[in-house]
Amino acid sequence: MRQVGGMVWLGWLIAGPTAWAGAFSVAYGLHGLGCELGWPALDVGPLSLQRMAIALPSLAAILLCLVLLSRVKATLGPEAGLPRLGLWIGLIATLYTMAPVLVATSC
Amino acid sequence: MSPPDVTAIPANPPRRALPLHRELDRVWRNGPGLWGQVTSVSHTTLGLRFMATAFVFFGIGGLLAMLIRAQLATPQSAFLDTALYNQIFTMHGSIMMFLFAIPMLEGLAMYLLPKMLGTRDLAFPRLSALGYWCYLLGGTILIAALLAGVAPADGWFMYTPLSGKTYSPGINADVWLLGVTFVEISALAAAIELMVSILRLRAPGMKLTQMPLFAWYILGTAAMMLAGFPPLILGSVLLEMERAFGWPFFDPERGGDPLLWQHLFWLFGHPEVYIIFLPAAGVLSTVIPVLCRTTIVGYGAIVAAILGMVFLSFGLWVHHMFTVGIPHLALAFFSAASMLVAVPTAVQIFAWIGTMWRGRPELKLPMLYILGFFFTFVMGGLTGVMLAVVPFNWQAHDTAFVTAHLHYVLIGGFVFPMLAGVTWWMPLMSGRRRIKGLGEAAFWLILIGFHGTFFLMHLTGLMGMPRRIPTYADNPEWMWLNLSSSFFGFVMTIGFALFTIDLILQAGFGKRSVRDPWQAPSLDWAMALPPPNYNFASLPGVELQKEGAGGAMLKLARGEGLLPGAPRGRREILVTSVGTARLEHVALLPFNTALPLVLALAICAFVLLMLAGFYALAPVALIPVTGLIWAWARRAVASVDAAPVEVAPGLLLPVHPEGGTTLTQSGLRCLLFADGTFFASLLFGLAFLSLVSPGPPLPAWGADQKVLLSALAGLSLLVTGGLGARWALGRVESGRPAGAALFGWVIVNLVALVALAALAAGLPDPTRHAGDAVRAALVAYVGLHITIAVLFSAFALDLARRGELAHGRAGALRNGWLWQGYTLAAAALATAALWAQEAAL
Repeated sequence: MRQVGGMVWLGWLIAGPTAWAGAFSVAYGLHGLGCELGWPALDVGPLSLQRMAIALPSLAAILLCLVLLSRVKATLGPEAGLPRLGLWIGLIATLYTMAPVLVATSC
Repeated sequence: MSPPDVTAIPANPPRRALPLHRELDRVWRNGPGLWGQVTSVSHTTLGLRFMATAFVFFGIGGLLAMLIRAQLATPQSAFLDTALYNQIFTMHGSIMMFLFAIPMLEGLAMYLLPKMLGTRDLAFPRLSALGYWCYLLGGTILIAALLAGVAPADGWFMYTPLSGKTYSPGINADVWLLGVTFVEISALAAAIELMVSILRLRAPGMKLTQMPLFAWYILGTAAMMLAGFPPLILGSVLLEMERAFGWPFFDPERGGDPLLWQHLFWLFGHPEVYIIFLPAAGVLSTVIPVLCRTTIVGYGAIVAAILGMVFLSFGLWVHHMFTVGIPHLALAFFSAASMLVAVPTAVQIFAWIGTMWRGRPELKLPMLYILGFFFTFVMGGLTGVMLAVVPFNWQAHDTAFVTAHLHYVLIGGFVFPMLAGVTWWMPLMSGRRRIKGLGEAAFWLILIGFHGTFFLMHLTGLMGMPRRIPTYADNPEWMWLNLSSSFFGFVMTIGFALFTIDLILQAGFGKRSVRDPWQAPSLDWAMALPPPNYNFASLPGVELQKEGAGGAMLKLARGEGLLPGAPRGRREILVTSVGTARLEHVALLPFNTALPLVLALAICAFVLLMLAGFYALAPVALIPVTGLIWAWARRAVASVDAAPVEVAPGLLLPVHPEGGTTLTQSGLRCLLFADGTFFASLLFGLAFLSLVSPGPPLPAWGADQKVLLSALAGLSLLVTGGLGARWALGRVESGRPAGAALFGWVIVNLVALVALAALAAGLPDPTRHAGDAVRAALVAYVGLHITIAVLFSAFALDLARRGELAHGRAGALRNGWLWQGYTLAAAALATAALWAQEAAL
């Protein structure tokens, strides 16, 4: 917190879970939209458009968490501990809750 | 001016404690008599009052529970008729949730936080008082309805269509929708109050990463309340609009969907479980280490667990709707999240067990309740994981198993820790010791009574008994379990009655307690018992915080901390920075006033007019509400520059933040966050009704060129208004007159309102289809915000006219600019949403 302001530190702290929340919300929204628009019937390579659309926000969240994890120490120095835990929470939560995208029937 | 180094602040010279106390007491105490209590804005008074009132409602809710158990004791009881039974179980749940649990946690947090954080009061004392009066008046409306036989009767989650006009034609459902929404003003007020206080009022040098865990828990709770309550308030508003004006948000025949209500309700309802649990866990994390004579194990892991729970708990709401026919993939998302949330809960449980393992636990009364918590809550958590598994959920849904689970979680996770907390802090609150023996007896009766009642209910549920049925003549095999549950229910009630008697005896007749009777290190014990309204005669700097309650107590009382006494006759506190708690400025808090009560009465008048069906008259009640809010804001404005204050030898702090963020601005940001959640929920409703709802398709709007032009004109005017506000702010900060710019800002906002009215006039009849109703709701939302923007700009103009806007005292203008920006963003999003809805047709 000496290196960055308090609000910035709080931003880092919630970055991981926020990434998960964003991916979760967008995936749920796209799921409804895809079912309405018939995306499960459209294939994009090995996956349906539906699965692809739902998986993309999750992948984005995972990538974001990984990038931030690689930079958290350099940015926050000795205050990086809690934000790092937050990023791991975001990463694991995204992986775990979005895993069903690969297997469950969609609509 | 660079901020002072908080580690190098010299101590103030010691003074005699008694004159210092008298000086502070003159400024901070409540007025005499009943009027003094009514006008008090002290966090100590209001915190205690919140808790006492919550206990009264707990008693009423408990009484209703006993009526339910009496009815269910035998298969065909004629004790209550079905209509009354419905009212009673609905009110039992509603009271326990909205009138007991939430206000109880608010009261405890209000009472304790300033003491733990080393300050004298919360950031917005009048807001605390307003919240209390809204809570009391809203609760009174609900109880009065019960006594009059018109209480809500559709279950505490008020599912549509049962709660719609067709199946609930009386005012019963309106009582719930309006009464609970009225009460929730207090929840939002408390959330803003607590969040700003934690972030901005910590003692100098108390970094976020070092503050008491209780504050972390309340910070998480406050954030959840800001995000969780708006969907409920939105759902209530929409359902009331449907009932009052026929806007068919939930009517499937006109494009609405009852499932929208379920989504909005559980978007609030599931996080609500954690909103209740987190403060209780905060109590546990505070009490357990002291009673085990050690420090908490895993501070960082607990903070991370709080963080995880705050977020994950918003990804579970659909597990209350697993049986409504949701696609497998969505079920899987929410099932996974429901199971995952057990992890941060377990982290805390293991941290507490680790703390007990490392220390030397003392089996005092609060520890008994803590052990009761472990035993009960772990069982509730495990049945929660069972219910998170979709196939099991399908079997157990809406049975007594769910009732048993939720009571294990809520009583185990909230009531037991709160009872531990009350017994823990009673010496602080009352200044007296308890009478030995009675509390222990109460504990055992409550524990045995609870498990006897609800463990058996799991079995009743697994045998297939549905929730909320008044009789079960065809299933005599359920009788013995029900009879036993009823018997133990009465045992539990006797336990709670004994607990109450114990408290009354302690407060009235207990021997005077020594200071810091538990030898706790936290600052809440570094004060006289019971604490004066100002908490500390001087505020703890870094060194005194390190000394803990025992070491700091006397020095603080002798004025050796910061900002000693009240020599200027003002209520002064220190404002610090968010992260490291650097000293920023001195804030002046308001004196006691009846304004919160009068404002709450004015809001109550609006609620009652709506309840009585005087819809045309109800908006008239908003005129005094607006006037009182204006008067409220006027009193918050410093009309002249105040001299800097010496908080320690040679250390002067400004009274106005020099261009920094005021407490009010922090509060407004919190409010806008909640407002944004409300708006996002409305957009979710629009998307849900457009994409998922199976009802008849939305007829074409027929939006013509004129409507589009009105929308674009309105947006352009809002942009212009924002630029005008920024221009005015620049002029004020540089000491130049800003009257013309402010006048222009008012006019532009007024014209934007006219443009919106033109757009509204072109809308189709909102009773035609749910899609039309959502359109109208979006336009009404934007209209309300532009109206408030007009008031912000007019207020700033009024200040300028009086010469009260100046460099360092332009907070009102900054707030107005912030509001204008939010309004513009909301208007732009609403326009885009309307366009998307039209384009999809």
